[in-house]
Amino acid sequence: MWKPTKVQSYLKAANQVVSNNIAPLKPNAVIAPKPVTLIPQNPQCSFALSQLLPDGNVRISSGPAVSTQVRWAHTDINVPDWSHYRRDPVKAPTAKSTDSEEGRKSFTYLIAGAGTVTAAYAAKAVVGQFVSSMSASADVLALAKIEIKLGEIPEGKSVTFKWRGKPLFIRHRTAEEIATEQGVNVSSLRDPQHDNDRVKKPEWLVILGVCTHLGCVPIANAGDFGGYYCPCHGSHYDASGRIRKGPAPLNLEVPYYEFPDDTTLVVG
Amino acid sequence: MAGLPSTIYNTVFKRTSTFALACVCATFFFERTFDLGSEYLFEKVNEGKLWKHIKHNYEK
Repeated sequence: MWKPTKVQSYLKAANQVVSNNIAPLKPNAVIAPKPVTLIPQNPQCSFALSQLLPDGNVRISSGPAVSTQVRWAHTDINVPDWSHYRRDPVKAPTAKSTDSEEGRKSFTYLIAGAGTVTAAYAAKAVVGQFVSSMSASADVLALAKIEIKLGEIPEGKSVTFKWRGKPLFIRHRTAEEIATEQGVNVSSLRDPQHDNDRVKKPEWLVILGVCTHLGCVPIANAGDFGGYYCPCHGSHYDASGRIRKGPAPLNLEVPYYEFPDDTTLVVG
Repeated sequence: MAGLPSTIYNTVFKRTSTFALACVCATFFFERTFDLGSEYLFEKVNEGKLWKHIKHNYEK
């Protein structure tokens, strides 16, 4: 190790030094000893405190006042009886613990399993409650349906209803319209869908009156295909609500509906 | 030595997979029993106060 011998000359400004208790390897020059200040030790950690304790055998080990009696811990200190906490099969000092190992482990796992089952039940209940809170409540569901008397809609007419805040078109199609729509070549359509897939009864077309382009309300009995025509950007729909011409990408949406009897239609 | 505890331990508790499976299956039955039991208890405690107990007085 390189020892900076000349560094000491730079330390001349100091008028006292603190001893590090390391003797210099070889004094290069005779330097007048500087006064060494002993800093009193102020123990602050347990180790420093322990250094202050007297170590070694400090008691008086011989003499007339010293008893030769030795106190052994096992003779007079009462050890608590832990047998209440111990498993029955291993209480006997001669019992082999491997003999009852499976039984003891079974009991432990049984308790753990019972806790798991209870926790799973509770977790399922909590999750179920949160999930069911997301579903629509009964009053919302009651408003979500609309019942329509079909006898009031004459043949060849499209009637608009308001359903869930959106216009709903019910069209009583004529036999001629039905024949036309069923005869359309599906492969020629932009959104290929046969007329039979869009109606439950061929006389009744139920569609949402929202243009699939930008959401305008199409006009009934207008356009090149005799169905619906959207005035906003000129989308033509046929009498099955399928897009035939114009910018709209998809057919008009068919909501869920059913016929409870011959004269009633329930949408929703 | 080989008794019921060791059989149960070796078949069910020893492997984590079988232990978890047993927990899931037990949860199914526990849920059913617990729900039915608590429902029965509730109706027993509230005997005569629930709609289905007084329904016959108001409906034909």
